[in-house]
Amino acid sequence: MRGFKRRRGMYAARLDVDEREVVAALVADVAELLGGGRLESRDAVPVGDGNPRMRIDALPPPSDPAVRRLLPDASRDDPEIAAEFRRLTEDDLRAGKIARLARLWEALTTPAEGWRADSFVVAPDEARDVAAAITDLRLVLAERLGVRTDEQAERLYDTLLDSPQAEVADEAAETLDPAARRYLVAVYGALSWLQESLVEVLLHDLRAAGRPGEP
Amino acid sequence: MDGVPTQTLPDARVEEEEKTDVADPWVTIVWNDPVNLMSYVTYVFESYFGHPRAKAEKLMKQVHEQGRAVVSSGSLEAMEVDVQAMHGFGLWATLQRSGQ
Repeated sequence: MRGFKRRRGMYAARLDVDEREVVAALVADVAELLGGGRLESRDAVPVGDGNPRMRIDALPPPSDPAVRRLLPDASRDDPEIAAEFRRLTEDDLRAGKIARLARLWEALTTPAEGWRADSFVVAPDEARDVAAAITDLRLVLAERLGVRTDEQAERLYDTLLDSPQAEVADEAAETLDPAARRYLVAVYGALSWLQESLVEVLLHDLRAAGRPGEP
Repeated sequence: MDGVPTQTLPDARVEEEEKTDVADPWVTIVWNDPVNLMSYVTYVFESYFGHPRAKAEKLMKQVHEQGRAVVSSGSLEAMEVDVQAMHGFGLWATLQRSGQ
């Protein structure tokens, strides 16, 4: 894997076939968690039935903590505000995240014409969505790994060092067998590194343009 | 020499800004989390809010070190838009009445 660099007016990274498959599978898993079905087996993005409608009834928060982190409460101490916000925004947020993941999945599974086979090429105007989608992937992995604090995040990579007795973050993470845990940590680390490289070029170009991006 | 009044303009502007802040009934708060990269949070503050680099970095550090930062203020409707945008970026934001 090589991080993103600006090449020929695009942002290009390198991911070999295995890396691409791992990331694409995770993208599909997260889209499924959000209710988008399996990205591999569909033609269009079936979020709802395509007919926007007003939500009248309250929408309960997602029961899966990873999904709840992607669609978090908009108030920590006022359930009424949180419920109202969820009623108004959750469908849109969910659909936006799924659509973004579907585009990322497409980009990962379709070779970029005119580029090396291992190139992962992102157009500058899609890069913000790619960076945000990678955030969602990392948030789900971190939740599955039981990472809740900065200290736990810092200790995460101990799992990869030669320390089989590395402290397990909490009960949620104890249910992962050590090999699965090591695998998830490695994917999390690779995605963090890839995202950092993308944000670096994004920030560079944003500042070079000397004006704020569109909201 | 009696060019004294030239100094009054900046002060008036500061007062105006403070007045606006006090009048904003709602605020958007971004909370620290162990996942989001510092560079990414800075990027979100610069690209979405249009903050200059120094202000975006200051807010990012405040989130990271103090656990939270007020990133915008205004009407409830405006804050709902900002909170939804932050959730879109994967940042955890909440809205609350200002001064709480």
